[in-house]
Amino acid sequence: MDSQKITCIILLVLSTIAILACLVINFEPWIIYGVAIFGIPLLILSLGLLTMAKPEPEDAEERVKEPFTGY
Amino acid sequence: MNLMADILINVIIAFLAGSLLLGLHRKVMARVQKRPGPPIVQHLIHSLKFFFKETAFPKTVSKPFYIGIVFILALVWVVGVIVGPVAHDSLLILFGVYAVYKIVEHNSGSSSGSPYGKLSCVRAVLSAATELPLFAAIVFVYLKTGSMNIGNIIAYQSAHGPLVLSIPLAALMFFMLIITKSPYSPFAITKDKALISGFETEHFGFLRGFMLFSESVAWYVMLWVFLTIFFGPLNPVGYLIGMIVITFITGFINATTPILSPNHSVMTQITIGAICFFGTVVMIFTGVVA
Repeated sequence: MDSQKITCIILLVLSTIAILACLVINFEPWIIYGVAIFGIPLLILSLGLLTMAKPEPEDAEERVKEPFTGY
Repeated sequence: MNLMADILINVIIAFLAGSLLLGLHRKVMARVQKRPGPPIVQHLIHSLKFFFKETAFPKTVSKPFYIGIVFILALVWVVGVIVGPVAHDSLLILFGVYAVYKIVEHNSGSSSGSPYGKLSCVRAVLSAATELPLFAAIVFVYLKTGSMNIGNIIAYQSAHGPLVLSIPLAALMFFMLIITKSPYSPFAITKDKALISGFETEHFGFLRGFMLFSESVAWYVMLWVFLTIFFGPLNPVGYLIGMIVITFITGFINATTPILSPNHSVMTQITIGAICFFGTVVMIFTGVVA
């Protein structure tokens, strides 16, 4: 398993736990705002990096070779 | 209601409503141009579909920044939802949100390594002129109501009537911002089709889906703030009707107006902003408005 996948799983679990904790326990508002501001985007980012499809190994090099330079 | 539940519900509403309104915007533009156009739900479907699309990170990108900037884009609009619909807090924080959005446009383009992204990032600096009328509009709202707090502004309007009647030119300045931020706007110089997709060109697959999510939330927050600070206390039906009407108006304007060149775009925005600014000053000091 590559390091990006491991990092994403850890971030996904942490952000989910933080959001669920705020749903169950009544923390101070500033804590909830902090968790929401960082936790919601982090949850979506880590989930997306896990769900996105990866290029086939033989196509991988071609995909990252150069930036988009027009049609 | 639990505060986190309130925030989550508002973020989901902002995403769903924003996506559908942006879909409606494309539909209106298409109908004006005598095309059938995509279904209204297309923007929403695109946002979700991109989460499962093949994504690769080009060699030329600055990877932490390239991914991080998409995260920051979502972060600033979650702040927008919290400051606006959830907490009814200060307009100054929202002004800060727009300032950071400008930085996101700039850095998203520069982190990509694409010449189109870099040119768009330069234009993002020019288009900061958009934020000047917004700041002026906020100043007039403060002068009129004596507060920057959205909750206090709503209370003021319940007692004295909607601000759009007393400072209409300030409302027009804010509306200019809405036109600027709407898709295919004549002032959208950072996303000019000559630059492919501007600062978003190199963000494809999941990262584009994440950006579409943030843009949907941004559109909803912008319309919510405009309706709240100029049209007084509204119920959910009032917000819905207001948002649909504004989306229709911007759709008509954008469908019939070609994109301006960067210098014309900036000069037009500054000129309209200046006319509205001095017009409002004259209206206040000559007693045209109470």
